Amino acid sequence: MNPQEHDRARRLIDAWHVEGIQAQEREWLNAHLAECAECRTQALTNERALQLLRSNTVRIDPALVSITQARVRLRARELRENQVRMRALWISCALSWVLGVASAPLVWRAFQWVGLHAALPNLIWKTAFALWWLLPGGAAAVLLAWQRRHALNQDGYTTPPR
Amino acid sequence: MGYSVCLFMNSMEQETRELARGLRRRDPDLLDELIARYHYRLLRYLWALTGNHEAAEDLFQETWVRVLERGHQYSPRWKFENWLFAIARNLSIDMLRRRQPGSLDELLSPADTRAPRELPDPDSLTPFESAAAGEQAGHMRALLQRLPAEAREVLVLRFQEDLNLDEIAAIVEAPLSTVKSRLYRGLEGLRNLLKEKEV
Repeated sequence: MNPQEHDRARRLIDAWHVEGIQAQEREWLNAHLAECAECRTQALTNERALQLLRSNTVRIDPALVSITQARVRLRARELRENQVRMRALWISCALSWVLGVASAPLVWRAFQWVGLHAALPNLIWKTAFALWWLLPGGAAAVLLAWQRRHALNQDGYTTPPR
Repeated sequence: MGYSVCLFMNSMEQETRELARGLRRRDPDLLDELIARYHYRLLRYLWALTGNHEAAEDLFQETWVRVLERGHQYSPRWKFENWLFAIARNLSIDMLRRRQPGSLDELLSPADTRAPRELPDPDSLTPFESAAAGEQAGHMRALLQRLPAEAREVLVLRFQEDLNLDEIAAIVEAPLSTVKSRLYRGLEGLRNLLKEKEV
């Protein structure tokens, strides 16, 4: 037998376990193993290693499962409570938006009136009106963006496996 | 034959769809059941990944909390265990990186010295078989500890979890060729260690 045959046999012995081999290759390998003690030893060592690996056990603290279940339940409750709070926040935001839109003409007139009586340039009272509208929304957006960023930083695995 | 395979596939699909719905609802009863069903496999994988008992237990709890929090991201197209292992892996890397920046292998701390309590795989064994399994497990643990973490991880996924190469590639987020070469290297390393031990 030439060295290339032994090399091929060794490659096939590993490939058999790792990715599988064709029936023809298996037939050739079996014939080779029947004649070659050295390659047969490698095949048997592989078998033994994998058998040991498969029979490997891990240490389990008997309380681990119940502790984990309790922790998960607690977190589930926290998330539910948080969800209720967020819902209330969104409802109040929506209400505030509706009221804001409905009262916009009145607020505009109020700013206009102040501008006229205080003899302010148009640009000033119009800018003040715009800020009156933009600042609360802007602050809320910044806060939400910060919260989201913070949540994403906590775990970087939001993309699940294919 | 074809009909029964079709029935089996349909029931599997239905099961994963129900699982996805339950995870979206954050159903605590479903989570309890999943923890009970997958605890052994997850802990075994985490142990192989970290090589450290305490770290594996911490990550075990974290993983299930993340499964609860990110349940809405689970798609019925995926096998649940693959998604679970991917979460566990990413959490492990994050945690180990926070503790000690460096490569996954450099991050591993030596095995703890706490007296082990061996539990066989859920199918119970006789006391004699348990003792033998415990001894063998200690032997195998010592061997596995000497392999690089990347090789150890794929060996566990392939030969303990019986996942196919594509599934492993998805979990470890590496190309198929990399997974194969890690498996070949791991197998060769394991074989050499076994020979060394026997000599």
